[in-house]
Amino acid sequence: MNIRSQISMVFHLDKCIGCHTCSVACKNVWTDRKGAEYMWWNNVETKPGTGYPTKWEDQEIYQGGWEKNGDSVSLKGAGKLKGLKNIFANPNMPVLDDYYEPWAYRYQDLFDAPEGDDQPTARAVSLVTGEPMEVQAGPNWDDDLSGTPDYARQDVNFKNVSAAEQDAMFQLERMTFHYLPRICNHCLNPACVGSCPSGALYKRGEDGVVLINQERCRAWRMCVTACPYKKSYYNWSTGKSEKCVLCYPRLESAQPPACFHSCVGRIRYMGVMLYDADRIEQVAASDDSELVDRHLEIYLDPFDPEVIKAARANGVHDSTIIAAQKSPVYKFVKEWKIALPLHPEFRTLPNLFYVPPLLPAMASVGEDGNYDSVNETLLVGIEKLRVPISYLASLFTAGNEGKVVDVFKKLHAVRVSRRNDTVGDVSEKQLNTCMNEAGFDKHVANAIYRLTSLCTYEERFVVPAAHREESIEMLENTGDYKGSVGFGFKEKPARGL
Amino acid sequence: MILINKQVKMRINRLKSTAIAIAAVVYGFSLQAQDGEALFKQTCSACHSIGKGKLVGPDLKGVNQKRSEEWIVNFVKGAADFGAKDADAKAIIAEYGYPMPNQSLQDDQIKAVVAYIAENSPQEVVEEVTAEVVEEVPADPALDPANASDEDVMAGLHIFSGNQRLENGGPACITCHNVQYDDLIAGGLLAKDLTHVYDRMGAAGVNGILSSPPFPAMASSYKDNALTEKEIFQLSAFFSKATSDNVYQHQRAYNDNLLIYGGGGAFATFAIIIFFLFLERKRRCVKEDIYKRQIKSACSK
Repeated sequence: MNIRSQISMVFHLDKCIGCHTCSVACKNVWTDRKGAEYMWWNNVETKPGTGYPTKWEDQEIYQGGWEKNGDSVSLKGAGKLKGLKNIFANPNMPVLDDYYEPWAYRYQDLFDAPEGDDQPTARAVSLVTGEPMEVQAGPNWDDDLSGTPDYARQDVNFKNVSAAEQDAMFQLERMTFHYLPRICNHCLNPACVGSCPSGALYKRGEDGVVLINQERCRAWRMCVTACPYKKSYYNWSTGKSEKCVLCYPRLESAQPPACFHSCVGRIRYMGVMLYDADRIEQVAASDDSELVDRHLEIYLDPFDPEVIKAARANGVHDSTIIAAQKSPVYKFVKEWKIALPLHPEFRTLPNLFYVPPLLPAMASVGEDGNYDSVNETLLVGIEKLRVPISYLASLFTAGNEGKVVDVFKKLHAVRVSRRNDTVGDVSEKQLNTCMNEAGFDKHVANAIYRLTSLCTYEERFVVPAAHREESIEMLENTGDYKGSVGFGFKEKPARGL
Repeated sequence: MILINKQVKMRINRLKSTAIAIAAVVYGFSLQAQDGEALFKQTCSACHSIGKGKLVGPDLKGVNQKRSEEWIVNFVKGAADFGAKDADAKAIIAEYGYPMPNQSLQDDQIKAVVAYIAENSPQEVVEEVTAEVVEEVPADPALDPANASDEDVMAGLHIFSGNQRLENGGPACITCHNVQYDDLIAGGLLAKDLTHVYDRMGAAGVNGILSSPPFPAMASSYKDNALTEKEIFQLSAFFSKATSDNVYQHQRAYNDNLLIYGGGGAFATFAIIIFFLFLERKRRCVKEDIYKRQIKSACSK
């Protein structure tokens, strides 16, 4: 066992309202710079939709991620031989048009325009060329546009959804969509790290944050191609690639990243997971059908004395182990098993998990002509969901529909249980059926409800501080400073020292 | 004098083998005779004799009396160009079929050689030697190509084609020369076609050229790795065979088409590689359809 700690995340999609506050928080903190304008380290997509960059999920186009290669995995579009072949061509790299051309408006024109009959306008100006431009696309151009032929129907996840199901889904009265906020997954098996010819990318040992060393990056842009989530961006101004840093300066002082902190819907959870690094290759190379299960198995029980012992032996700090025991991510992912990784078939073992959205079910029209959402099986069954299970399975379980249904049964049971508690119109038989199908009791249902709906800041974000005071002792003898004058003086005080 | 000295130094670097001879020319007239002898043996004797009849080129006995020194200098330095201007030179070139290769010698050196020839020409009245054909017979009858066995011919073929390495490590003949022979692939086009070399030059000529090549490129190629006597014998046996059997050899059709086939092949190879690179490439923006529709709907308004 090679136990390491990993900062992991859960996004509860049922709670996301698609306000983009997270994206704006990130933009203001990190990517409001020349060359980084088009980077959205955090972005919120409308699903069904093509996402950002457009069709990022289609690895036939972008050749990102890993593919199974016997007992191991190899990069789909990069790696030693393929990388050498493509090193000067990089044929699958997204171009600026696959993202969008960033722009600003010439606001000064509103003030400087001479008096005339018409209102002055602020023209759009490209932030790349500085020339006036026609705005054709943006990072969330298909925001709330479910059902459009250009975006929603081009969603790659419809590959395994039958034409009949699609048609049914896109009927106006059945139309549905949900949001999918995305940041870097800080994967256990990051394709970007594997693809870099300069060795500029690395996964931090203490918390598993994946970073790009700006001094070693040589602009090969293999990480841009290799990352199946397209979360590595090339800064055309500095000539270096950049990616989400998970606000590591905040993490180190035990604060959640800016996008987590600012989330209006409080959909984001962050916590430490302990995992066995020796099993990464084996898990990444497992069959599609068991990929999710094997992925979740790699995270270990932080209460198990064996695991704690091995973690300590590996230099994991006690405070980190305690944080792992309180981790909300561990509860969602391992205890309740209601959070799933996004596109596990890319085999990067992402550390960002999503609680799938229990989208509205079709209501029935009652005898009185009213829509009736409460019928014999409260909130209808999950089989009547508007969105096809196969679509969500393509997003979260590599096509394994059973796993999505399992999660929905649990989420459904929580709702039925809460309805029983608050309204009390659920028959005991129905409650028992739901609880049996979900496989848990009322206490678990309440715990899920509490962490979903009534969670506090401290419950959502359990981030252990990085022990800088200890790590500096590895480099310097802090005893040298004992008895010296703190920060020192730039100018000596008049009264002398 | 300093200037000459400099030139001399440059030459020493270039032609180490003639360094002593050149130094002699510059520094002392008394050494000139010796210098002329060395130069003659090195650069002229492959094709010319003094009083022993004509080899590849004419016998040079008494040439100092027949021609002016200036004429000789011009001829030696650039026979082909000089032949275009001078009638005598033209006649000689016509007689021997091809101009003498240009020699990169200095005027002083040529004069030294002429002086050497003058000293060594028999004093009797010069006779016309062009009429009589004197066949030079190699000293050792065992090395006469006429006595060569089939094995020697085959060995010559292998030496020519490079299958058999030259003993002293010189480059294979086929690099620059071609011989039309069924067992050989087409040779280089950088130097003369040697199919009929035996007819043109005879055993003595071939021997002479191979033992001390007078052509600049060939001379520098074999300067430090001369052919052995046996190799020369086997090669001239092969040349003899190639000449005599020429009528039985098949015409090699691809000789002239090599460039077309080679160039075409290279083009096709590159085209295929580029095609496959192109096939793998993400050729269009993923939003192209959307942009096109935007433009279309904007135009139809």
